[in-house]
Amino acid sequence: MAEERLEYHIYEVFAQESQMAPAVHQFSLLASSPDMALILAKENFLRRQKAWSVWVVRRDHIHRTGPEEAEMFDRLDKSYRETEGYRYLKEKWRRYKHEPLTTQTMT
Amino acid sequence: MPDDYRQYLIRLIAMHGISEIMGALPEKEWVPRAPTLHRKLAIMAKVQDELGHGQLLLRVAEDLVAPLGMNREDLLNGLFKGTIHFHNVFHMPAPTWADAGIIGWLVDGAAIITQGMLVQGSYAPYCRALERIIAEESFHIQHGESICIALAEGTKAQRQMLQEALNRWWEPLLFFFGPPPKSELTKHQDLGLMYRLRNRTNEELRQRFFHKYVPRIQALGLTIPDPNLRLDKETNTWHYTQPDWSKFKAILRNEGPMSKARLILRHSAWEQNRWVREVLSTRAAVAV
Ligand SMILES: [Fe+2]
Ligand SMILES: [Fe+2]
Repeated sequence: MAEERLEYHIYEVFAQESQMAPAVHQFSLLASSPDMALILAKENFLRRQKAWSVWVVRRDHIHRTGPEEAEMFDRLDKSYRETEGYRYLKEKWRRYKHEPLTTQTMT
Repeated sequence: MPDDYRQYLIRLIAMHGISEIMGALPEKEWVPRAPTLHRKLAIMAKVQDELGHGQLLLRVAEDLVAPLGMNREDLLNGLFKGTIHFHNVFHMPAPTWADAGIIGWLVDGAAIITQGMLVQGSYAPYCRALERIIAEESFHIQHGESICIALAEGTKAQRQMLQEALNRWWEPLLFFFGPPPKSELTKHQDLGLMYRLRNRTNEELRQRFFHKYVPRIQALGLTIPDPNLRLDKETNTWHYTQPDWSKFKAILRNEGPMSKARLILRHSAWEQNRWVREVLSTRAAVAV
C-alpha cells in the first residue's frame, strides 16, 4: 500500500484560558500534521496552565509586520482618539452640576 | 545578524537544549525506584518538564540553523557526532535517592542562577523560552528541597546518604559554572559579554551560588566537603579550594564518569523510538 510522506512544519501555538479570554501566543513547535501539533502543544505548553482552547497555526500561514513598522504604531499624538484628550469635560460637567457619564456608570 | 553572533547562539542554545534532554537521564533512573507514589509522580513530572525544556530550546536553535540548511535532526545527531556537547554536570552518576534530591535542589538551583542571567540577554526568542523554563524550575528546586529536607530530618542512615550525595556533587557544582577568568577555557565568555548574552562571568555566578546555598546547606546540618571554604566579609567573596580542572577538561572530551554510558543510553532511545518518528511522518493510504 502506498504511503504518503508527511512534511514537518513549524506551528505557532496560542491558548485561550476561558471562553472570554483572548488567545495568547505561547510558543512554537515542529509537527508533521495539525493533529500532532495539537498533541504536542498540550504536552509542551499546557502541563500546568489552564486552557479552554488551544490553537495551532502554521507559521508560514501567518502574515505579520516586521520591526521596521513597530515604530509607526506609537509615533503620532492620538489624544483625539483617547479619553485622555477629553479630560477637561469633567471640569465642565462640574460647572453644570452633573457627574460626567462613563461606560461604567451607564451600565 | 552577525555570523559570530549566530554561531555563538547556536552553540549556546543547542547545547542547552541537548543538555535538558541528557539531564533527564540521571533522574529518570529514579522514577521506578522513587520511595512513594507522591515522589514518583513528582519526579516523573520533573523529568517530563526537562524534556519539554529540550523541545523549546531545540525549536529556537532550529530557527537559527535553518538559514545554514540544517534542521532538528542535525542538532540531535550533533550529540552523537561529538559536535554538540552536553553540560558537564550531567556526566555524573546518581547512585542514591539523595542524589535525585541534590540534583533538584542544587543542580537546578545552579541552573536558575545561570538562566536568571541568560533571560536578560539580547536574543528575544531564547529569552522567551527561558521565561517559560524558569517558571517550571521553581517547582524543580522545591521538589529537590522537599526530598533533601525530608532526608535531613530522617534517620541517621538517611542523613548519611544525603551527606554522601553532597560530597559527590560538590565538585561537579563547582564545575557547573565553568572555569574562572583568565583561563584557556574561557574564550567563549568574552563574546557572550560583548553581545550582551551574559552580563556576569563564571566566577560571579559561582559566588552568587555560594551566597545563596552555603548557609542553607549548613543550616540543614550538612558539612560542605571543603575545609577552606569561608566568606571574606570585607570583600564579600567566598574562598574555596579550586576543583581539579583536569577532570573538567576530561568531561569536555566526553571522558567523564558517566559520559559514555549516557551517550549510549541516549543513542539507544533514539534508535528504539525511530518507529515512532516514522509513524508520525507518514500517512498510510486508506484502502477503499
Ligand atoms: Fe530544565
Ligand atoms: Fe529543572
